Amino acid sequence: MRIILIGFGNLGKGLARIFIDKADFLRKTHGLVPRVVAVADERGAAVDEKGLNLSKLLKVAEKKSVAAYGGGKRGKRALEVIEDMEADVVYELTPTNIKTGEPGLTHIKRAMLAGKHVITSNKGPLVVAFRELDSLARKCGVEFRYSASVGGAIPVINLARKLLAGNEIRKVCGVLNGTTNYILTRMSTEGIPFEIVLREAQELGIAEKDPTLDIKGIDTACKITILANSILGIDARLEHVKVTGIDRISSEAIRLAREGGRTIKLVGVARRGSLEVGPKLVPFGHPLAVGGTLNAVKFELDLAREITITGFGAGPQETSSSLLGDLIDIHRTLGG
Amino acid sequence: MLVKIVMELEDVPGQLLKALEPISRFGGNIQSIMHQRERKTPLGRVPVMLVFEIGDKARMNKILDELRTIGVRVTQLGEREGAVRSTVLLVGHIVHTDIMGTIDRLNAIRGVMVSDLSLAMGAPNKESAARMTITAGDEKHLRLAISTLRRAAGRKKLLMITSLEEVE
Repeated sequence: MRIILIGFGNLGKGLARIFIDKADFLRKTHGLVPRVVAVADERGAAVDEKGLNLSKLLKVAEKKSVAAYGGGKRGKRALEVIEDMEADVVYELTPTNIKTGEPGLTHIKRAMLAGKHVITSNKGPLVVAFRELDSLARKCGVEFRYSASVGGAIPVINLARKLLAGNEIRKVCGVLNGTTNYILTRMSTEGIPFEIVLREAQELGIAEKDPTLDIKGIDTACKITILANSILGIDARLEHVKVTGIDRISSEAIRLAREGGRTIKLVGVARRGSLEVGPKLVPFGHPLAVGGTLNAVKFELDLAREITITGFGAGPQETSSSLLGDLIDIHRTLGG
Repeated sequence: MLVKIVMELEDVPGQLLKALEPISRFGGNIQSIMHQRERKTPLGRVPVMLVFEIGDKARMNKILDELRTIGVRVTQLGEREGAVRSTVLLVGHIVHTDIMGTIDRLNAIRGVMVSDLSLAMGAPNKESAARMTITAGDEKHLRLAISTLRRAAGRKKLLMITSLEEVE
């Protein structure tokens, strides 16, 4: 399978490493030989129709743009690569912009119009234009997968759409942001104030330098928007989600919750008629009372009643599980 | 109102019947009886949990008096005002924004009672936190109490954190 990677940050690099490490496994188990024919970052692109040497590319990308790869082109734009290169699948892995969805949105549209299947982890385009992309993919006759956009390694969307397909999904709720869950867990177990745990999380690289999107609950709201669209079939937008962050949660509040046998979690809830993100009291021992950077998602269903899954919601290797799963799924769908 | 009591009975025949008699005499409608044999006391008494519906508090007190008279020990008396409850957390300037007024307003709703309140003061000029347990006769009134509290919290700029399994 010929593959184009757009975006070569942590996720792109992580995926490239997995392609190297699991080459034998993919060939033997799935009959899949991923051949990365182009990689583009914000400064240029590396291209080779016969397939790039990913180990070499990773070494180059440690210090420079992928354009510095032999035969690479500085200034070659992602869009040119998407439109000009012969390829089967485009991975859109550029940073998320939840206001415009760009540059991911244009990348995805152009890839579909060029007849290429698309796999993305990028929440921006999904939040801004879910319906548009969904119908464009159908119109162009291409596959569109975005498992990695919600829950990282946890197969939230596929579990709901495939394995639970016989159920009516009444409600989805979950702890969907590892950063805030880490902060709330540390506050609860160590009794330290919010500001100090936030700084600690930033030093550990768990929280971003600008943690606004996480602690204000906006990242979780994006994921709720995607879940509402993809598994509840609601034409939801980010502004439909009622959002409260965790920045007012004090040590005192956490202590009172603990004394009452509960912990505080940032929970996103999606159901018909109400999309909501905010701190909630969760009893200790409840399936959503997961610690550290873990994520957890609970489905409420008419037949199966309740199903909860837990796992790692971020990290290049963990997220690669979903990114690779989507590729294998497309490979199978196409009869590979 | 729905009442749940736990009483300790001697492990000999006829004790349960004796204890149930005053409940039925004062109009109580028994909904469930459960022997807790696994929790037998050191003196060999068996805790029995009873749930029954009773018209009002006065009759309830008569039953309790009668049980005491005939020597039945009541160890727990719960959910006196109702069957459902919910815990919420408030964060903000709680004391300065008249928490008592809010509690009075909740208590004024039929069958609703703020049955527990814990307050943690923040550092000077910082926000404080409160944990409140609201008990109600049924889910409808609990919902009403929660939405009343939500409106008050909105007016007073308090952050209100409800339970995940909130009735809605």
